Amino acid sequence: MSALRMGLREGVGEILVFSLGLVPWAIATGIAMRASGLSIGESLAMNVLVFAATAQLGTLPLLVSEAPVWLILATAAILNLRFVIYSAAMAPAFHDQPWARRALGSYLLVDVVFLVQGPGLLQEQDAQRRWGRFLGAGLWCWGTWQIASLVGIVGASWVPEHWSLGFMGTIALLVLLVPMCRERVMLVTALAAGASALLLRDLPLRTGVIAAVIVGLVAGYLFERRQQGVAREQ
Amino acid sequence: MGEWRLYGIFALMFFATWLTRGAFLLAGERVRLPAGMQRFLRFAPAAALGALIAPELVGGTGQPLDFLSPRLVAAAAVVLVVLRWRNPWVPFLAGMGVLLALQHLGR
Repeated sequence: MSALRMGLREGVGEILVFSLGLVPWAIATGIAMRASGLSIGESLAMNVLVFAATAQLGTLPLLVSEAPVWLILATAAILNLRFVIYSAAMAPAFHDQPWARRALGSYLLVDVVFLVQGPGLLQEQDAQRRWGRFLGAGLWCWGTWQIASLVGIVGASWVPEHWSLGFMGTIALLVLLVPMCRERVMLVTALAAGASALLLRDLPLRTGVIAAVIVGLVAGYLFERRQQGVAREQ
Repeated sequence: MGEWRLYGIFALMFFATWLTRGAFLLAGERVRLPAGMQRFLRFAPAAALGALIAPELVGGTGQPLDFLSPRLVAAAAVVLVVLRWRNPWVPFLAGMGVLLALQHLGR
């Protein structure tokens, strides 16, 4: 068996259990896209092209209210900024791979793959096997995600509208936010951003969202500096 | 044109999400992220999520603020459930259950 195939098999094995956590998320995303008024075709296109649940769910309210395109793109990019950190951490595992593999790898990089494989992948010396492991895990998650969201996308048609299924998208975002807020500074950041978003909700073109994100970032930064200042004095 | 507008936006969003994920994979090892920048970026997800979720729960553009909305109560149930259980299905069942129950009672 080639190193690549060995890696593929290994990668799928590593991710198998964890990929199950994607299923409710994917179904919720599928339902939320339809509940926002996207057609089945549009939902499928968004799912394959964007392939980033948080960016998809977060931009739905903006897409529906016909917010300007730059704001939609900026929101998608901000929601994905955590991946900049992931990709900085993963880069050494890709430095010896050809460009096409790095490009495909960038598309397939999702939270669960980074969290499960991130550190271990860097230890793998064989470049073929290392790529195989990442590709196996990445493709497995992609397939799981697409199939489970298809269930939500198609299933949403049979649910009456007054069930407010769009709220599934908000729940999914909350499920992501709550564990982050175990860290005090993240809670401060989220609360500051949330309160500002409420106060600035009537700014034109929904630009209040971006303004609130900036307030949150600054609040988090200042809070962390104060925390460190207090720690130093003690 | 309106029909294709969304597909065009999705194509642009592909680049927005692909480039953020690929930032350092595509650049190879030539570029490193400065530590100060990394610390700042750490706050981005929490800030963005807070800014997007709050108006959904309390009141968005053109709506009055409602701190007793069924959505906010349902969100509180989701928070409690997420803190207590690791099962990924429970938050969705709890949140939708509370929301639908409150909407039913309100009618």
